[in-house]
Amino acid sequence: MTISTFVFKNALRNKRRAVLSVSSVAVSLFLLVTLQVALRELTLPPPSAGAELRVAVRNKISLTNPLPARQRGIIERISGVQAVSPFTWFGGRYKNEEGMSFAQFAMDPVELRPLFGEARMSREGYEKFAADRDACVLGKITAEKYHLKVGDAMRLDSTIYPGSLTFHIAGIYSGTPDDRNMFFRQDYLDESIGTPGYVGMWWLKVKTADDMAPVIKAVNAAFQNTSAEVRAESERNFQLGFISMLGNVKKLIASISTVVVFTLVLVSASTMSMAVRERFRELAVLKALGFRRRELFAFILAESFGLAAAGGLLGIGGAYAIFTFGDVGKMTQGIFVSFEVTPRIMGLAALVAAVLGIVSALAPALSVARMSVVNGLKTLD
Amino acid sequence: MALPLTYNFRNVLVRWRSTLATIVGIALVVAVFVLVQSLAVGLEKSAANTGDPRNLMLVRKGSTAESTSLVSLEQLRILHYWPQIARDAAGQPVISADLICLISQPRIDGHGEANVSVRGVSPLGVALRPQVKLVSGRWFTPGRREVTVSHKLASRFAGFAVGDTFRTAGKAVTVVGKFDGGNSAFDSEVWMDADEARALFDRDEYSSFLVRTTSPEAGQALISRIEADRRLTLLAEPEVKYYGDQTATALPIRMLGNFLATAMSIGAVFAAMNTMYASVGARTREIGTLRVLGFRRRTILAGFVVEGALLAAIGGALGCRLALPMHGVSTGTMSFNSFSETVFQFRITPWLAAKGMIFAVVVGVIGSLLPAIRAARLPVITALKSV
Repeated sequence: MTISTFVFKNALRNKRRAVLSVSSVAVSLFLLVTLQVALRELTLPPPSAGAELRVAVRNKISLTNPLPARQRGIIERISGVQAVSPFTWFGGRYKNEEGMSFAQFAMDPVELRPLFGEARMSREGYEKFAADRDACVLGKITAEKYHLKVGDAMRLDSTIYPGSLTFHIAGIYSGTPDDRNMFFRQDYLDESIGTPGYVGMWWLKVKTADDMAPVIKAVNAAFQNTSAEVRAESERNFQLGFISMLGNVKKLIASISTVVVFTLVLVSASTMSMAVRERFRELAVLKALGFRRRELFAFILAESFGLAAAGGLLGIGGAYAIFTFGDVGKMTQGIFVSFEVTPRIMGLAALVAAVLGIVSALAPALSVARMSVVNGLKTLD
Repeated sequence: MALPLTYNFRNVLVRWRSTLATIVGIALVVAVFVLVQSLAVGLEKSAANTGDPRNLMLVRKGSTAESTSLVSLEQLRILHYWPQIARDAAGQPVISADLICLISQPRIDGHGEANVSVRGVSPLGVALRPQVKLVSGRWFTPGRREVTVSHKLASRFAGFAVGDTFRTAGKAVTVVGKFDGGNSAFDSEVWMDADEARALFDRDEYSSFLVRTTSPEAGQALISRIEADRRLTLLAEPEVKYYGDQTATALPIRMLGNFLATAMSIGAVFAAMNTMYASVGARTREIGTLRVLGFRRRTILAGFVVEGALLAAIGGALGCRLALPMHGVSTGTMSFNSFSETVFQFRITPWLAAKGMIFAVVVGVIGSLLPAIRAARLPVITALKSV
């Protein structure tokens, strides 16, 4: 019998315990991965292509305050600006649903492609959107969810504007980080509410990455000391601003992860020492046979490490499989869309598993190292 | 029956080393469960705690939040003459026309900004909400660009100390006092004069009307009258009901809590099973002895299940104890209803603690059931022979 088969046989000698230990490690690591992915999704939204050229402009008071439509001409004249579109939150509810399951924004139809070029949609879709006043374009996820196709009508009740609007789907797009949103025409909205002369935000595209900082500065300066001061920022910073609004959620999830890891270490360490205590006598025999402390420690470490590794593989692999091939949007009722298990998170979980394997071996190994052969042989338990 | 119970109970104490890890493990699981659920409870409580039963809240039909509702001065003038609305000593109808505006304010710790609800209230607005009490400084003076802030918000945002000024809409606003909202939704608000707010934020309209009715019957009559009057396009609801329904933010927290509880309890069941199997294994001879003494299989089964439940109950109690210091601690997140910072407290209610205990005991029972069955099924002779 080689040393490795010896370790292997020992680990599986009490099959029930091995299975239970591996499962509890697996469940905990699954949980850890899930929490870390959730934390990452909440704090670092997936970057979208073209974001480095986009600028979001909102009212300086807050996002919910509108901006006067007359600002557009001033923004368009700023050098470095390639495209400008209004971007107005409609807050519509579809089919009398309790909550809002997708966001809708009013835009300038001609500027959709220059601004969000990464979205894939047919040419007819763009043409139709530019031609028909009541046209809208819809993200693939939402279209599939409600079984909607090009040409269908959809009615939305706004929670912000009085009444409701009916749209006709001109195209269905995909390829953005969140293919759920719906875009429709600002002029259609204006018409229905009597053209009050306000938009929600401005969304701009700059010509080159070098234009970004000067354009942001120029836009901010252009409306200083006017009735509607603005805050222009890069799309990325705008997204990060949203995250800051989530407040203490980040701290909450981080602390839960810590508790999970701690519980995991505790429980596995206890299981491991149980396994070792059970065969104190055998270890004493090994010692008597001339095995050194170092070798005994290696046996215990190898076993504990092996169990932790198996648990880690199962937990991390399981999380990867579920979140990559499962429909997270459905599972979380639309709170999370992509839920990507990154190599970094898997690495972190694997590291926790490895540390766990080592730490759990320490205490039993120490007591084995300390025991005298005579005492060990005497042990009954 | 008495003997195996004492036997099992003393076992928990005697084999403390192997059981301690399980107890602490279960305690941590229960603590996490109770803490996350206490957040959801806190949010719901703060919503349920808001409003005065004598008040009606009027918002635009179809709006889901006060901040997106628009009501007009004309509507206010119509309401003025309705007999269902109570009148104050001066004979004026008790109505507060409020404006809600969200402002983006820097957090006190320097980590970014968040939206804060500013409520412009009419002169009667403060008296209409008796749960809101001034704690320091003074109330804002109508006609001045002054605000009185919730002291709970003041501890979260920069520029909200009494005497501070902050800039919004291009103007300087002075903080003159702090109030306490009595753990209600008003704890997440900054209050100022309604007409000053309309001027500051350049709004023609208000967001909502809060009215005091002369009697509950008059309230009902007012609700039906508004429903019947198509020209008003208003929705009237008891203030308490309006706020009580604003609990959408609690849903994702509940989901997180349930997910964590499920996943962690599976882990905890495995851990408990491990401990109990080991404990049954180590006591094989003793179990055999008990059988020889005449104790029946089901007595032994029950004894081990009780031992597991007891172990878990100790863990559960410890977990609740661990979570308890967080009770009443303020925290905040963005409300999905108002789209602004909402401040609320961890609320560990007796019922929640009981749920935590039940949860722990269920974990203990499930975790010890299989080991207990194994113990009960041990053949007497083999059990006695085992070392």
